Amino acid sequence: MAVIRTEKLCKVYNPDTIPVHALRDVSIEIQKGEFTSLVGPSGSGKTTLLNMLGALDMPSSGKSWIGDVEVTSLTDKERINFRLHNIGFVFQHYNLIPVFTAKENVSFIMLLQGVDPKTISERADELLEQVGLGDRKDSRPSQLSGGQQQRVAVARALASEPQFILADEPTANLDTKAAMNLLDLMQKMNEEQKVTFVFSTHDQRVISRARRVITLVDGALYSDKEQEPKIVLEPK
Amino acid sequence: MKILLTIAWRNIWRNKGRSGALLAAIIIGLWAGVFTVSLMGGMLDQRINFMIESEITHLQIHHPDYRIERAVDMFIPNTIEIREWLEEREEIHSFTKRVLSDGMLQSPVKTSGVRIIGINEVSERKTTTFHENLRKGSYLEGDIRNAILIGEKLANDHRLEIGQRLVLTFERTDGELSSGAFNIAGIFRTGSTQYDERNVIVRSSDLMSLLSSYEVYHEIAVLLKDVDNATYIVEEINHNFEGIEAKTWNELSPELGTLVALGGFMLFLVTMIIMLALAFGILNSMLMALFERIREIGMLLSIGMSRLRVFSMFILEAVILTIVGAIFGILLAVLSINFFARNGVNLEMFAGGIEEIGWPTVIYPEITAEEFTYIVIIVILMTILASLYPAWKAFRVNPMEIEKDT
Ligand SMILES: Nc1ncnc2c1ncn2[C@@H]1O[C@H](COP(=O)(O)OP(=O)(O)OP(=O)(O)O)[C@@H](O)[C@H]1O
Ligand SMILES: [Mg+2]
Repeated sequence: MAVIRTEKLCKVYNPDTIPVHALRDVSIEIQKGEFTSLVGPSGSGKTTLLNMLGALDMPSSGKSWIGDVEVTSLTDKERINFRLHNIGFVFQHYNLIPVFTAKENVSFIMLLQGVDPKTISERADELLEQVGLGDRKDSRPSQLSGGQQQRVAVARALASEPQFILADEPTANLDTKAAMNLLDLMQKMNEEQKVTFVFSTHDQRVISRARRVITLVDGALYSDKEQEPKIVLEPK
Repeated sequence: MKILLTIAWRNIWRNKGRSGALLAAIIIGLWAGVFTVSLMGGMLDQRINFMIESEITHLQIHHPDYRIERAVDMFIPNTIEIREWLEEREEIHSFTKRVLSDGMLQSPVKTSGVRIIGINEVSERKTTTFHENLRKGSYLEGDIRNAILIGEKLANDHRLEIGQRLVLTFERTDGELSSGAFNIAGIFRTGSTQYDERNVIVRSSDLMSLLSSYEVYHEIAVLLKDVDNATYIVEEINHNFEGIEAKTWNELSPELGTLVALGGFMLFLVTMIIMLALAFGILNSMLMALFERIREIGMLLSIGMSRLRVFSMFILEAVILTIVGAIFGILLAVLSINFFARNGVNLEMFAGGIEEIGWPTVIYPEITAEEFTYIVIIVILMTILASLYPAWKAFRVNPMEIEKDT
């Protein structure tokens, strides 16, 4: 069964004033373990679609399912709780709680989920180790580089053991080296732990890493291609 | 949830300037509220006690019409029976009889209208604290013939000194005018310049001999062991005796009652103004905190933190600040009230004229436990109320705020 399935998703912003058709009849399916990139020119609706996939926003029409749950029929409160247990997020910026250390940021989501404290601590350590920040556990976001912050965000997303991770332009604020490192990390998680990723990007080098590339133009599905991803083993 | 407390606590330290200002506002608001109330409370109490202790006492007996018409022939007809009755009652601490007359005081400089109070120096001393107001000379116990005590203000106006003479002119009980020369034995100063200017004190025997051919008393002032018994003792006196009227201090000086009510209202007003200023300060700074963190809140909601927790996180921040502020505010208030209750607050430099209208210039602040608690509760409630709106705004944040660029 598909992890994500959408059926004719439409999104119209400002329907009563100057309507913007941000999504037009988008129907897609994403399977478990995919490494999918969402591409398209600026304003093509990538963020809008990711918001629908992540149950952050409601479509104007159409439906979407995550697993067997129709998220488009959930209330605001139900969606928040659903996100907590099923979806991992990596945003372009403002990912982390500034007053928390890396470890606290990773632990926080597990606390929200009600995981027991001992497991939380062990798991947070393990995840930070995995994303290469074992020695920066007690640093606050302001003491970390942009790339390191995004890695903490990936660790946080993984911590909640979600069905998939959504990342809206996760590399947009990073320099090339940091961007590639983050992609390496995501790719490794995908290869080794079968973590499903859907990420949007403008960056050709990032696109080349994806196994599947979905292209949006003017809010409509333009193409949906499989490709042989460029895999960089053991980077640096 | 402990984690919310941790975030709230760290968020407080995040913007030290703002949190500090908020904390200072709570501390100062609480202190100012408590201190104002205690200052006004002390002022009222001192004023009332002064009036009661130095002259009014707890209850007084007069001819029924005397207080309105103040005619010299409206004296108490049955002084002896009343005296016997009063001496029997164990609720009564002491009492004193007074002869009263309105008259003219003449000195070589000028003439003034005065109220002449004839007292029995022995029983007066037991009943009132008037003798404590004496600044110069001696009380009426000496053997100076026709001795008189005058107020400092009056003495200055007439350029009179101890040992000098003055003439009092007044109406006799038979309607004739009478006058007598009096020798200044002492000069007093009460808290009220107005009082000092209008009242002179003589021996009741001296005044009576000039006033009438028989014994007359216009006023009996009674000091009780417990002021709370005033009402029923007054009722009993009125019930037992004809041709007189007893009244409690409260009825005798309705302005004191008005003062208490007015004082209460002023207190309410002042505290409300302070609290409103406080509430707006808090509202403003919490809203600023909200706008600064709106993307972060969007992120928290996106990853799955419930709106209720976001709301609580915000409220907790205000609650922690309020509790810390309240503790320091209470401490500051207790310390400063204790200090000034011992040393007094001298208002002379701020309000030169208040002594003229009979208010004390050195105030010993005092506050009841209820008033104190009431203000603390108001401050805490105000802070929390003022943070409800920003917290509610935080509750309503759209998770997609995180995507908005700076
Ligand atoms: N909240 C909103 N209100 C109104 N219009 C919006 C809103 N969000 C997006 N839009 C519009 O919807 C369209 C799609 O926007 P979206 O942000 O999804 O594009 P995008 O592909 O993510 O672009 P970018 O690459 O610049 O991030 C755009 O025309 C945008 O202006
Ligand atoms: Mg976008």
